[in-house]
Amino acid sequence: MPHFFSNKRLILLLVGVIFLVALISFSLRDRDNASLPEQIIKDVVGFGQSIFSKPTQYITGVFDNVDALLNTYDENKRLKDRLEEFAKLQAEVNDLASENSRLRDIVDKQDDLRDYEPIQATVIARNPDQWEEKVILDKGEVHGVKKNMAILTAQGLIGKVVLTTPFTSTVELLSTQNPNYRVSAMVTGEKEVFGLIEGYDDERKELILKRIDSNIKIEKGQKIMSSGLGGIFPKGILIGEITEVSTDDFGLTKMAYIKPAADFALLDHVMIAKRTMTTVDGTDGDNSGTDEDEDAS
Amino acid sequence: MKRMIIPAIAVVLFYLEPVFGLFSPLDISGEYRFLIPRFLIMYLIFISIYYSRNRAMLYALLFGLLYDVFFIDIIGLYSFLYPLICLIASFIVKFIHQHLIVTTTLSLVLVAGLEFVLYQFFSLIGLTDISLAVFVRERLIPTMIANSIFLVVLGWAFKYVINARLLQRLNQPN
Repeated sequence: MPHFFSNKRLILLLVGVIFLVALISFSLRDRDNASLPEQIIKDVVGFGQSIFSKPTQYITGVFDNVDALLNTYDENKRLKDRLEEFAKLQAEVNDLASENSRLRDIVDKQDDLRDYEPIQATVIARNPDQWEEKVILDKGEVHGVKKNMAILTAQGLIGKVVLTTPFTSTVELLSTQNPNYRVSAMVTGEKEVFGLIEGYDDERKELILKRIDSNIKIEKGQKIMSSGLGGIFPKGILIGEITEVSTDDFGLTKMAYIKPAADFALLDHVMIAKRTMTTVDGTDGDNSGTDEDEDAS
Repeated sequence: MKRMIIPAIAVVLFYLEPVFGLFSPLDISGEYRFLIPRFLIMYLIFISIYYSRNRAMLYALLFGLLYDVFFIDIIGLYSFLYPLICLIASFIVKFIHQHLIVTTTLSLVLVAGLEFVLYQFFSLIGLTDISLAVFVRERLIPTMIANSIFLVVLGWAFKYVINARLLQRLNQPN
């Protein structure tokens, strides 16, 4: 029987293991930016990847269109029913928007947390091993993408940028298990209630909203939006809907389970929200402030 | 020109993996099923069995590194596991008959092993906290089904291409 471990191989293997551990610990640290060789590799591979993924998206787009055509009749019937309601709502929204801008003029306040410039981007790859919830977009620093910007689809918020290179950016989705991932959010209603999206329940496929003031009553079915107070995300991006409210581990604040509005499964075209107002590194970013040790769960 | 065909197929498979990854997770009656494409490593196992172990390990190291940097930002994980799997494959193949069915089964067993090692690794660093039963049900079984379909359909083509290249190399040593 030939020896699997000859001396030379054993040494090579040991050196390999040591090198591996060193590299892994290097890359697991919270790095602010990709190093230069990494950026070059990412850009080159990303370019090739977009060549492969664009035709695929075209083909899936054709299939989606056929699918949409097949449902047209039913959908049309349903939409007609809602059209009247929609026109009324639209008039109301227009009225409120104009009133809002008039009032803003009166008090001379121009900046709005809600304003953002959308940057259209295409998902060119999803991390194929799917342990980390990451996708890669075809827009990077040269297009104005910066770290921690919000990523949304037409349905709602899906994640934020964690790494940028000149021509690509890596997005970590909301469904991540990363404990340092948080988004400042609010419960909409008559009174806005603030909380932080922290964590994702893998079994229920729902997000967890924590640190809600326990004196304020919140209910199942209320909508959750980004609050804009985390420093980087614009205000008013839909995140999801409350499905269950309970108290947290210490009984001091409330927590709620949130069914995400956007679907994380099949992503193709997304928007990067570049907030027009000044950004600061708050809870949406890496600066988790003083409450870093509170995460008992 | 023909010299490039083996690395060229590897490049194509490397780029196809994330494209197939875009279709996953599949939502089957409320439960997610993760299909993880492992085309490249299966191809590399075939290279290591039918062509040359050292060449396979070189490609494995190179593509493993690209995979690490581009997709998962943990450098050293795939660039270690891919060559290791090629090494194990070339070691095991000395004791077994090199029939296509046997090598296909061997590749699939090694891919399952890779999935399991990765599961252990990601649980260790705390990126996932799913239980073993959930891992087997949601990830391992769908992944193995998808990859075995792929390999059954394309395994003979891999073998054909590699053998053609091997013959060519034997005929004109350069």
